[in-house]
Order: sequence, then C-alpha cells, then structure tokens
Amino acid sequence: MADLGVMAILLGMALSAYSVIGSVIGVKIEMPALVVSARRALYMTMVAAFVASGALIAAFVQNEFAIKYVAEHSNSVMDRAFVWVAFYSGNEGSLLYIVLALSIMSAIAIWFAPKRMERSMPWTIAILAFVQLFYFFVLVFFASPFELIDIIPEDGRGINPLLTHPGMFSHPPMLMGGLIAITIPFAFASGALISGNYADDWVDVARVSAILAWGVLGAGMLIGAWWAYTILGWGGYWGWDPIENVALMPWLVLTAFIHSIMVQKRRGMFRMWNVALLNIAFVLAQLGMFINRGGPVVSVHSFASSTLGIIFLSFMLLSLLFAFGLFLWRMPQLKSNRAMESFMSREAAFLVNNFLFLAVMAVTLWGVVFPLFSDLARDVSVSVSAHYFDRANGPILLGIVLMMGVGPLLPWRKSSARSLKRWLAWPLIFAALTVIVLVALGVKRPIAILSFGVVAFTAASIMEEWWRGTAARHRSGDNWAMAWWRLVNGNRPRHGGYIVHLSILMLGLGIIGTNFYQQRTDGALALGESLVIDNYRIEYIDSDSSSRSDRIAQWADMSIYRIDPADYADEISFARAQGSDGFTLKDSTRRPNDRLIGQIQPWHGFYTDFNMVSVRSGIRSTIVEDLYVIPRDFLADGRISLAVSINPLAWWLWASGPFFILGTMVALWPQPVLERRPARSENKIRAMATGDL
Amino acid sequence: MAIALGALLAFFVVAVIAYPFVGSQRYRLVSQRSVNREKLRAERMRVYRKISDLEVDNESGDLTESDFQAQRDLLRVTAAKILREESGPDGPTMDSDEQLEQEISRMRDRSTRSSEGGGQSK
Repeated sequence: MADLGVMAILLGMALSAYSVIGSVIGVKIEMPALVVSARRALYMTMVAAFVASGALIAAFVQNEFAIKYVAEHSNSVMDRAFVWVAFYSGNEGSLLYIVLALSIMSAIAIWFAPKRMERSMPWTIAILAFVQLFYFFVLVFFASPFELIDIIPEDGRGINPLLTHPGMFSHPPMLMGGLIAITIPFAFASGALISGNYADDWVDVARVSAILAWGVLGAGMLIGAWWAYTILGWGGYWGWDPIENVALMPWLVLTAFIHSIMVQKRRGMFRMWNVALLNIAFVLAQLGMFINRGGPVVSVHSFASSTLGIIFLSFMLLSLLFAFGLFLWRMPQLKSNRAMESFMSREAAFLVNNFLFLAVMAVTLWGVVFPLFSDLARDVSVSVSAHYFDRANGPILLGIVLMMGVGPLLPWRKSSARSLKRWLAWPLIFAALTVIVLVALGVKRPIAILSFGVVAFTAASIMEEWWRGTAARHRSGDNWAMAWWRLVNGNRPRHGGYIVHLSILMLGLGIIGTNFYQQRTDGALALGESLVIDNYRIEYIDSDSSSRSDRIAQWADMSIYRIDPADYADEISFARAQGSDGFTLKDSTRRPNDRLIGQIQPWHGFYTDFNMVSVRSGIRSTIVEDLYVIPRDFLADGRISLAVSINPLAWWLWASGPFFILGTMVALWPQPVLERRPARSENKIRAMATGDL
Repeated sequence: MAIALGALLAFFVVAVIAYPFVGSQRYRLVSQRSVNREKLRAERMRVYRKISDLEVDNESGDLTESDFQAQRDLLRVTAAKILREESGPDGPTMDSDEQLEQEISRMRDRSTRSSEGGGQSK
C-alpha cells in the first residue's frame, strides 16, 4: 500500500501544479483547451487524494506496521472502528485528510459554480489548486504518511488514548475540514477580483460555501467541547487553549462575514469589508495550521512537529501578502456607491455586530501570539491564562448577544423612534421580568443577572419577530402552524439565522450557569463511604478492573442520592466554615430523606505505551444541572480519589448543537424557483419591460 | 500489484486531462455576451428576491406602507429594465452593468426627492 500511496500523492502534487500553471497560462494566451484541461486536473487531484487516503486506511486495516505512521498510530488490539480516527490522528495523516477534504470541496464547488462566473473561474481554480499544491508538497517532501521503517515491529504503539472517544469520529475532521473549507469562498472572491469581475456574482457562492465552512467549524468546536468535558478530566469544556483559539478566530470572522454579506446582497453595501473579512478568515485559517503543526505552543490538540513550523509560517505569510496585495490593488473598484442612511437601521446593527466579532477575535489573537512574541523577543516563556480571555471577551460576547436581539428588530435603511420603541417594548419587558424573578429566587451576582437578562431580551426579540410574521400570515387565512412554516420558508436565510441565534442563547445559558455557579469539591473515598455536595450524596459501592496489552483500566460503581440538606446541617456548616462546597462521610447510613436517583460508573485507564492516563467522568445530567464525577486515581489502599462538581445548566451547552445544525441547514436550504416568488410583481414587471405600462 | 494500480491511475488521469487537446470537441472561451446574459438573469433573480424579501418585511410590519411601495416600485422598474435588456434585439452590451447601476441611481435619487417632497413614487 505504501507504493500506491506514494504514487498517488506524487500524482496529486503534479496535477495541482499543472492545474495552477494551466489555468493561468490558458487564460493569458487565450487557449480554451488548456483551461479545460487544467480544470480537469483539479478534479483529478480529488481522485489522487482518494487513492492515497484509501491506501493509508487499507494499511491500517491490514496492520502494515512496516509503514511508520501505521506503527505509531495503531496496534493489533485497536478496535477496528477507530481506523478512521487513526487515519488523521497524527500529523502526516491529518495533512492527507486535509488535502482530501479540500480536493473534494474544490471539485464540488467548481462543478456547481454558476456559468456567469466562467471568466473568473480559471483564477479561482488556480488559487484552489495552489493551496492543494502546498499540502501535497508538504506530504511529498516533509510529512509522508507512507514512510517505511527498517525494523518492522511486531505490534504498533497504538492510538492515542485521548482519541478513543466517539467525539473523535467527527471533531477533528470537522475542525480541519471547516478550516480548510474557508479556502473555497476566499478563492471565489479572489478569482473574481483578479479577473476584474467587480459585480456581486461571487456573493452567492461565497455565502453558501462560507456558511458551510462556518457550520462545520462551529459544530466541530462544540463536539470538541463535549469531548473535553467527558474525557479530559478537568471538569471544563473550553480552556482557551491556543488550538481551540485558532479554530475560534476564523469562525468569529466568518460569523461577521455571513451577516455582512446579507447587507451586500440586500443593499449593495460593504463590498470592501466583505472581501477583507474573507481575507482575514483565510489567513487566520492558515495561522491555525501553523500553530497546530508548527509546534510553537504546547496543547492537548497540537501535533507539535516543529520541523514543519517554518513551512507553514511561510505559507501563512504568503497568504497574507497575496490576499491583502490583491485587496489593495482592487480596492478602488470595490467601493460601494451607497452610504448608510441611518444608524438606527439593520445594516448599522450588522456593522456594530461585525466590530464586536472582530474585537473578540483581536483579543483572542493577542492572547495566542503574545506568548510567542514574548518567547522570541525576550526569551521568556509566558502563558496567557483563561482568566484573561474570560475577562476581556466576556463583556464583548454579551454585547454580541444583545445585538442579536436588537438587530432583527431594526428595519433596513432607517427606523423611526416610535416604531423602535414599539418593537423593543416586549423584549425589554420580558428581560425586566426575568431579572425580577431571578432576584426574587435569590440569584445574587449582578453580572450573572445582567447576562440572564440579555439572553431573555434576545430570546423575546426572536419570538416577537416570529409572532409578528406569523400573525400577519394568520390574518391572511393560514392556520397558525402553516403561517409559521410559510414565514420560515419565505426567507430561509433569515429564519435559519434566528434558529442559530436560539442555539447561541442556549449555549449562553450553559456558559453563564457553569461559569458563575459551579460548585466543586474533592476527596478520597473508601468502599462504603460517601461524598456530599449541595443536595447530592455519592456513595462508593464497588470497583473493578481489567488489564489489556495496551492499558490497565479501573472503574467504580457509585450510587447517587438526593438528600435533604437539613439532614446534614451540622456537616454542611462545618464544611462551609472550612471554605469547602462538600465533605466526605465515613458513615453512609441513609438519612431519612435520602432518595436514590441514579448510578454512575466513572472510569480510569492507564496506557502504558503512552505513559498516559485517560478518564471517563461519571455524569448525571439533567436540564437544571450536571453532577460531574472525575476519577482522579485509584489509590493503593483501595480508596478512590475524586473531584466532584455541580455544573448548573451544562445540559444546555450540548442541547444547543442540534439547533445550531438545524438552523444552519435551514439557512442553506435552496430557495424555491425565484421567478415564481414575486407573483404579484411578475406581470407588472413584464408589462413594464415591454412598454405596456 | 500496487505499482500496477499506480500506473493505471496515472494513465487514467493523463487521459482525462489530455482529452481537451486531442478529442473531437473544440473548446471556445465563453463569450462575453453569454456571460453578460447569464449575469443579467442572475441580477434579475436578485431583484426578484429583493421584492420577495420586501413583501415579507411589509407583511411582518417591518416597513411603513409608503417606504414599502417606494422601494418595491423602484425594484420593479429595475427588474423591468433588466428584462428589457435581456430580451433586447442586440442582447446585452458590454457595459450593461454600469448602465444599470446608473439607471438605478437616477431612479433612487428621483424616489428620494419625491419622498422628501411628501409624495409617493408610483
């Protein structure tokens, strides 16, 4: 398989190079056959990438440990289901996966691109092929997944234990696929600019491909957060790790883009701004590849292959130079001839929200690059803590959520103070009621109360939008369900966006709950002992273990009881006096009001070849809160060391995922045939065109 | 075996990319006229979409009636102009986009003036 794989990636590199050169020369010397041939070469890179990937997967299936990559990332006892994960679990394989994803996306995008973009297509193809060429080049000369080893081991090292999790089937491929997918809208916009096509022809295809990249990247990050929550054993889901940040930054810029591109579509404004956003997103995606593979930062996600650092850094700088060189060259032609009429308009709200997204991106970027600069300039290693990101980004993110509520209520062009007052009234009343209820319930932290109020305001504004639109249709004779369905169907990008907004609010609830109201405690329990936190008692019932060639696993059976804190009043006051949220209980005799509500089985594995511990937290999840039990260690004296937390509203973090995907799909779903839509206008327009009116 | 598969793959891709040079089909650069026709059609679709969005906004109460009518009339005129250009005897011209932009700007100015004067464009 190694020979076939090597031939395929060599062929892929040659085809990409030919596609770049053929497209450019074909246009310059006006040789259509060469342009067509170069386009076909781009399609064929997909075939080459498929064959190379197939060869590597086959090598994993057949345990070909003569291939270094296979020997380092699998072994004979590895569950075969994880072959797909093993494929991209290392640097070389992940690069092959990236080029496979890019070649498939490029081929699909070019195949379905509208005919009106034909003149700029060779340039678009040249850009796509050039990016592919770079990755094939790295695969051939610096990071071949088909490198052979002289002494073939009897068995491989095995897959990284942290990757043996269901989330790994989708998190890395979605993250890498989402990052590289940004190349598609960037290539279409840049191709149009190079060819001198300044009209908005590229807008639709760039919008669709950007939403796809954004949706995939966003869902990938959310799955990654879930993975971290269940396997990393630190009780959190987002640590502002540099590798998380480099995925977040282009996502933020794409979020800004998919909002402001609506202004370009609707009002013909923000042309320059949108091109600049795509450029920033593309360069940030390349920064992500550099940080991830260059090894300048240590992260649980990083491949940390420092030899590739300079290559990826060079490519990132080249991307930066090309993108903004082209932008400056074509800037005069990109200027819009329309001005914003009022700051109380939807386009102004989009602009404010764009600035806020870029502000979060800038704060995050500074946190990522500061340690690198410090290391380079002063030879001092520093790290930026999560505290910095939380403090700096928190208020801006709250501002974004607020704008999510204000923006949809504003009309295009301008609004009057009177109508604005009318539209804002209900969301404001609902937000005020929420705050009053929270205060009455004893919620004390002002920032948390403010955050819940903003979430309530935005939720109410979305509901008001739906209510107004649905009621208007209901008055025309539709029943309520049909009226709402027609409303959403009538403008899918807008209402798909509202569904995504709802998912962001759900995410916001989870973030507020877990950040402001988490309770933590830890302790070591012998069999029969309990740990009490808030109104839970966790009783250690039993333990078991198993030994395999690659790991020693231990797990505990634990019962969870709901308790009446009054039954434990003395212990609770003692623990509080010690500054702790919980305490251990030697005597596990049930108190009168203890009620068994569930069982958990936290799992702890030690992987000898990797000298690494991997855990599966025991989680009892409800809509209100998660009881989260991390098995830190099984001690020699038979006790188990635990870290326990209560994570309020954590369920909402994961519940937001399906809504995010649903909203993205609704926004992307093709509209019905356009000619049929403005039926009331169609006849009039035709009469006007023929001079009958 | 692997070498044979690799050679077969190489032969296949070379055949696919060489075909435009040796096949019987002759390729031409897409004419400016057909690109312009396609562009006009896309532009008309965009205007139709804007009219549709405007109707949705109006039904939802996002626009005043006078604003709605003024914007819709402007878009209808724009769509009619594009339609006329699409079906014109000589087809679209090279600078049709520019002409269209100018025409839209003129109409917008007129519409703004008429709404400032308290009237409605019809």
